Amino acid sequence: MIAVEHLTRVFGSRLAVDDVSFGVGGGEIVALLGPNGAGKTTTMRMMAGLVSPTGGTVRIAGTPLTRANAGALRARIGFLTEAPGLWDRLTVRENLRVFARIYGLPDAERAVDETLDRFGLRDRAGGRAAELSKGQRQKVALARALLHGPDVLLLDEPTAGLDPEVARGVRQLFLELRAEGRAVLLATHNLEEAERIADRVALLRGRLVALDRPLALRERLAAGRVTILVRGDATALLPAVRRNAPDAVAEGSVLHVPVADAGRDTPALVASLVAAGAAILEVRPEVPALEDVYLRLIGPDGGQA
Amino acid sequence: MNLHRLRALVAKELLDLRRNRAALLPVAISTLAFLALPLFIAIGVPLASGQPLGDDADLARVSLAVGVHPELTVDGRVQLFLFEQFLLVFLLMPITGAMALAAHAVVGEKVARTLEPLLATPITTAEILAAKVLGAMLPTFGITLAGLALYLALVAGAADAGVLAAILNLRTFAIAVLVGPAAALVSLQGAILVSSRVNDPRTAQQVGVLIILPVAALIVAQFMGAFWLTAADLALIAAALVALWVALLLVSIALFDREAILTRWR
Repeated sequence: MIAVEHLTRVFGSRLAVDDVSFGVGGGEIVALLGPNGAGKTTTMRMMAGLVSPTGGTVRIAGTPLTRANAGALRARIGFLTEAPGLWDRLTVRENLRVFARIYGLPDAERAVDETLDRFGLRDRAGGRAAELSKGQRQKVALARALLHGPDVLLLDEPTAGLDPEVARGVRQLFLELRAEGRAVLLATHNLEEAERIADRVALLRGRLVALDRPLALRERLAAGRVTILVRGDATALLPAVRRNAPDAVAEGSVLHVPVADAGRDTPALVASLVAAGAAILEVRPEVPALEDVYLRLIGPDGGQA
Repeated sequence: MNLHRLRALVAKELLDLRRNRAALLPVAISTLAFLALPLFIAIGVPLASGQPLGDDADLARVSLAVGVHPELTVDGRVQLFLFEQFLLVFLLMPITGAMALAAHAVVGEKVARTLEPLLATPITTAEILAAKVLGAMLPTFGITLAGLALYLALVAGAADAGVLAAILNLRTFAIAVLVGPAAALVSLQGAILVSSRVNDPRTAQQVGVLIILPVAALIVAQFMGAFWLTAADLALIAAALVALWVALLLVSIALFDREAILTRWR
């Protein structure tokens, strides 16, 4: 639905986005992860036609985004900006109405009503935006981004500032949007959120560091260890294990065994343990959390590890 | 230019102003101030001094610029001259009050971070800039027209008989309906151009206020008797102002750098 190819942006002497290529298909959620200043917002702005790339292209439904067609293609995009950006003196309804008219919706009032209902904002419709809480403002901004039923959603920190209950509702909405066949790209710092709802995760730090399914990313960076739960004290089994894996350790009834290739080496390992009289309760490869993957690829201080 | 989008944004500007009526206070104050001034000079001063305006030979001679007007006394003709002189000033001065609105238009949206969501829609730069100008101009024009009605009512009530009838001419119409709005378009477009190039509302306002200079020059030149503008002259001036506005709009569009506004303004 939306794809970027070799997208590059230079600001003065600073390379903000460096040769980034990826796509978001219809019915897919991609999470864009990266530290502050990694180029997430710039990438999204280029995808929304707000900032011109220094190099590379953005394609929406196969059509290259150009200065000439940016206006028309923006009608297919819903862009949630980093700040909600509501007109404070206008009511929630009025804020949405202006955008419904700018998008040229045939029945603007109906679209506004439906959106208010979908976001549970009906009781707030007549209140001025200035009176809303931070979370409610974010909700209205999200409602505004979806008002015109865009095929592509670019969401910059959509759940930032929302309380857990509202954030959960918003995440549920993203899943609904995916089910409706929309392409959703969300920039977030919330790794748990990314892991929970994203079909794929793009790790960005100027360059695209990694792009894959969350589980595949975790597996790719698996520590190369297998965890084995046995009945009783695992220490007694160490001599048998260390014949092939000298660095194996035991913690209570758990063995942590380094392996070169978990898929290839685990059956032999299990066989040797059984031969040594072990009663094996569980065997599983150790897979790092997405946070571990993030920190390993991006680095704890935003520096590439 | 898509009129639906333009109308939507103008409606937003007007709604926003309606909720922030204090922003129109400078326009209302300048309108009332320039309503009182001619009345004070043409009616109040002669009453207070006991010396009719027509007794001043120079004033009586200069007042012939408005025509002989045999139906009026010399006093009445001098009143007509003064009221007509002030009319141009009266219709232009509220624009300076609207400067604050226009100067704040783009940079204000940026500071409030409401510009980016707007720029992410299909709306064009021309539509945004035109809506900003109209959003500042329409309420100003409304206040000015209301002031004009009040001005004419006061002329009817305070000036000599026949002055009102004499002032209701093509020249007055040209000033009120052509020159006033056209001058407002130019001035406000200039202020909005400034607004889209600076990153602080205060700077925009300070620079925008400079637009008062040509208006002040016009006022001084008129009172020095340097010229007398006929209805035809005024129509030509209005046409020139509209052309200038279009040129300014095009320059504003060319200088409105969406990208710089989003990425460099902090």
